[in-house]
Amino acid sequence: MGVFNWGWATLFANVLIPVGILIFSSGFFPYKPLLPGLATFDQADQDATLPVFDKVVFMVVDALRSDFVYSNESGFLFTQSLIRSGVALPFTAHASSPTVTMPRLKAMTTGSVPSFLDVILNIAESDTSSTLAFQDTWLAQIKARGDQLVMYGDDTWLKLFPGMFGRSDGTTSFFVSDFVEVDNNVTRHIPDELAQSDWSAMIMHYLGLDHIGHKAGPKSSHMLPKQQEMDAIVNQVYTQIEQQSHLQSTLFVLCGDHGMNDAGNHGGASAGETSPALLFISPKLASLDLRQSSPIEPFDDLQYYRTVEQADITPTLAGLLGLPVPLNSLGVFIPEFLDLWDDQSTRLHVLYRNARQLLNTVQATFPSFTFDAASLADSCMMEPDSGIEGARCAWSRVLRETSSGNVIERDFEALESSLLQFSRIAQNLMSSTASNYDVSRLSLGLLITAVAAVVVFPITYQECKRSTYTGIFLLFLIIGYGSMMFASSYVEEEQQFWYWICSGWMVYLHIRSASSSTTASSSRAGVFSANAGKFAILGFAIALRLVRRWNQTGQKFAAEPDIARAFFPSHRPIFWALFMLTYADAGLRLWRSLPSTILKMGGVTLATLACVFKLNFVANDSPELIVDTILSRIAEGWPSSASLVLQARLIFGGLGGCVLIALALRSRSDENEGPSKLLHEALHLFLMTQSRATNIPLFLVFRIAAWSLSSMELSDMEVTITTMILQYTSFFAFGGSNAISSVDLSSAYNGVGSYSVAMVGILTFVSNWAGPIWWVSAGHLLRGHQEHGGESHNAAALLTFHVAASALSVMAACTALRTHLFIWTVFSPKYLYTIAWATGNHVAVNLFGVAGLSLLERRR
Amino acid sequence: MTSSNTSSAAPTPGSLSQAPAEKPSAPPINVLPSQLAQSYSLAHPVVLLGLCAWRFEAVVESTTRELLRDLPWLAALQFVYVITCLPPAGSSFGEVTPGPEDKKRASRSSTGSSAPVRPGKSSHRRKTSAKISWASVWARLMPASLAFGLTTLLATPAIAILLVLFGAPLTTHNVETFLCAAHMALLSSTPLIYVHGVDATVWKEVWGISRPADIVWGSALGTGLGAWFGAIPIPLDWDRTWQAFPITILTGAYIGYAMGGLLSRTPFVYGKRIQFAPGPADEDEKKTN
Repeated sequence: MGVFNWGWATLFANVLIPVGILIFSSGFFPYKPLLPGLATFDQADQDATLPVFDKVVFMVVDALRSDFVYSNESGFLFTQSLIRSGVALPFTAHASSPTVTMPRLKAMTTGSVPSFLDVILNIAESDTSSTLAFQDTWLAQIKARGDQLVMYGDDTWLKLFPGMFGRSDGTTSFFVSDFVEVDNNVTRHIPDELAQSDWSAMIMHYLGLDHIGHKAGPKSSHMLPKQQEMDAIVNQVYTQIEQQSHLQSTLFVLCGDHGMNDAGNHGGASAGETSPALLFISPKLASLDLRQSSPIEPFDDLQYYRTVEQADITPTLAGLLGLPVPLNSLGVFIPEFLDLWDDQSTRLHVLYRNARQLLNTVQATFPSFTFDAASLADSCMMEPDSGIEGARCAWSRVLRETSSGNVIERDFEALESSLLQFSRIAQNLMSSTASNYDVSRLSLGLLITAVAAVVVFPITYQECKRSTYTGIFLLFLIIGYGSMMFASSYVEEEQQFWYWICSGWMVYLHIRSASSSTTASSSRAGVFSANAGKFAILGFAIALRLVRRWNQTGQKFAAEPDIARAFFPSHRPIFWALFMLTYADAGLRLWRSLPSTILKMGGVTLATLACVFKLNFVANDSPELIVDTILSRIAEGWPSSASLVLQARLIFGGLGGCVLIALALRSRSDENEGPSKLLHEALHLFLMTQSRATNIPLFLVFRIAAWSLSSMELSDMEVTITTMILQYTSFFAFGGSNAISSVDLSSAYNGVGSYSVAMVGILTFVSNWAGPIWWVSAGHLLRGHQEHGGESHNAAALLTFHVAASALSVMAACTALRTHLFIWTVFSPKYLYTIAWATGNHVAVNLFGVAGLSLLERRR
Repeated sequence: MTSSNTSSAAPTPGSLSQAPAEKPSAPPINVLPSQLAQSYSLAHPVVLLGLCAWRFEAVVESTTRELLRDLPWLAALQFVYVITCLPPAGSSFGEVTPGPEDKKRASRSSTGSSAPVRPGKSSHRRKTSAKISWASVWARLMPASLAFGLTTLLATPAIAILLVLFGAPLTTHNVETFLCAAHMALLSSTPLIYVHGVDATVWKEVWGISRPADIVWGSALGTGLGAWFGAIPIPLDWDRTWQAFPITILTGAYIGYAMGGLLSRTPFVYGKRIQFAPGPADEDEKKTN
């Protein structure tokens, strides 16, 4: 089954699939043209600009959902007293999906709506194309003015703004279990910085609250103390602003970059995730006389006070600090602050500059529409209030009102409201066109993928014809899966499909083994083996049932108790017994598959080392699993000298050694299945290292399932379909889903000292696709050793057809539903996952991985 | 979901002892030829579906109470159905204790029972021609009570276990699962037991899902398949109360029961078996239903 007997058609199709995906992506995630350079004032602007504040303290509390500050269950008591006294102006800032930190920071600093691609770049954090070094932001504007910026907290800022900050101390969020250190690292700098007067902007980004959310959810007992801690910092900063003379015109902004859902995760578009709090705090705001009641009874949609867009922060800060509005901003100045200027014309000028900047972005996007007075004269017949015509109409009203009469007679109120109206229409227009699809590329991508499917179809058809019912089932699976991709809830609950298909396939396997055991029982083996088959299917069924419940995933039932997150934390001894059993099993099998005693000892040492590493990792990453067990006392006694990075490198080195031994083994003719067994065991240990601790016993369950399958005497095609179904099933059983928030990054940095995109990318893929990779290898073992005469089974073609068909249906769904409400929350993430399935799991693992294994054996 | 697997508990001992001496499996069975039997066998699924549709609202309203309340009615209907329409298992009642000799005879008589004439009756007629009506009633009542007894004691727990293995919740909803299993057992297993008794060969075939298609096996298989397809609407985000477990499963089971029974009576499907080729070499394939 090496590369050579795939056939040219399969090879060709597998070239076409990535090409189709690439072209489709370029049309689906278009590169958004950005206006280059920095915005500048002309002389008239310079004269009319009157800054209200000269300094800003920008405090981001990661995942600060609106109710964490505003509701009466909040710990922000001091902040609430500021709201009551009118020196703090509260808002709910709508954060558009994807609600992950980096795109949100981009939105808050550039005022634009980041494209969906930023999600991927958020994961590949160091990607230089994602930096804002060359984009217009309010930070760049401050810097351009010659002022200094300082930054403490999440190092995403340092990556986004290289060289921007005069002083900084970045914090990485490596262990989500760290609630304390990440925040103390920021707080300790506050007194010094507030005493200095050489900066104009101080940015603080606190991660602890987000970590609590990820770890224990918004209802965690850690949440209230953390809120109180953050409130104390607000108190500290505000007191200094009141007392220190050099801070007297400092604007203090407190905001969240995104919220969190009830499980404490974010990334999607639920009300919880998109509703962070936003407060502007300064003693000067008392003059606005906007006292609001606080706290408020909590309510479900979380829209406390007035809701503004997160992008509005940028023009508001620009207006208040007297800066030009950054070029690509889509924000609208928050009108509550207009009363800070007594002079009507200054107020108008702030709005006018904002509107003119928006007009520029609109004109850059719609060059075919003109906005000059002459052509606009007759464009307002229909009074449209949205879209490009709405923008033109609103702009013509602005022009009409500015040109009518002299300065004194102008109706300031009316002009203000028409400027704001234009700005809002332009904002809506530009936010919705932020995703302009290139339909011709979408179609081309679809076409190429369709050709890939058509090219492998004849081979697939031949395969299916040879065993009719298996073929019918496969076709049923592919058609069912394809049509499912058009329904958002089935995309969200994809695991249900695979669990369901898996149970159906189980019945197939049962009928298969039952019928073969009755026909065979007379000739050989007899009663016992016939019954072994029955027990095998029972074992398989029980294993699958356990696997289904291991991690609840998806959307609808995600919060229901499961084994990994509900059962194990409350039954820790059972968990640790299974954990140890899994490692013992791994060690034993390494022992068996290694040739000589010394190497066997080495294998066992390696398994022990892997186990110790995992224990150390658990002690850091999820200490709640380890407290009150015997292990916690053992863990205390461990030498902490060897860092986790070093331990992981030792393990990876040892596993590399196993691979070398396997390569050496193949020159010995007496070892029949030695190399692939050994490789499977090494892979087994590697995948365990890359998995969350609570998922490790799953590998034991997989062993049982694989053992059941091996006693069923399946044909090659059945093995292919079984392992394909199990690949998908296990992906979801490990906690995967089609939501961006479920990407597991906890093991992405194992053994990686300094950031490297390739290493972290591969480790991330492996730790999220651990189950599928395991089943690919297990499938190879199940299939490998039957000597079959005649035409051999072409697994690659079958898998390619499935992948091409599923990619095709996902692309078709994304094209057909591109105006659907859920396109960015459900279908686009699914498309990203499809890319990973098709390129990573299919091409790299299923084809090249298995081809490599086959080559290894072929030599004999 | 394969209701056929109800037998998992019942036939295993039998199949063990039976293994050396393979006997021919019972042929597909027919509905009794009388006018009443023929017409009621067609009406019965319709009646059940009607009952299902009529009580659907109530089931959605309070699932457990309504399912429990419907159980005796379903049992009564199935009782009437098997008594009226199906040939009872020959002397299967006595089959629990006797030795292999008797068993063979019993099986032969039950094999004969597939003839269009009322078979159970005929075997008794030979013994006591004087008490025809009594024997007839007896011959039907005994298999019927056996069927209901075994349905309650074995089939329902077995189906409940299968439901859990196929994904029904284990830690919650146990009452619902059990009631669902009881309904499915009454639909699928009662007629099977009534017709075949505890004939080990038949149950082995049932376990292997390789019975020839007939009304009883068809509706049993349909029940399981329908329940499997009934799971489809559950993940949809429509937020309807009827999406709760086990309403859709059971509805699917009822529909599958009706369709499976009717389909497998058509000449196109009747008598065919599901048999998957063990490998590409196997050419002895038969048509699925």
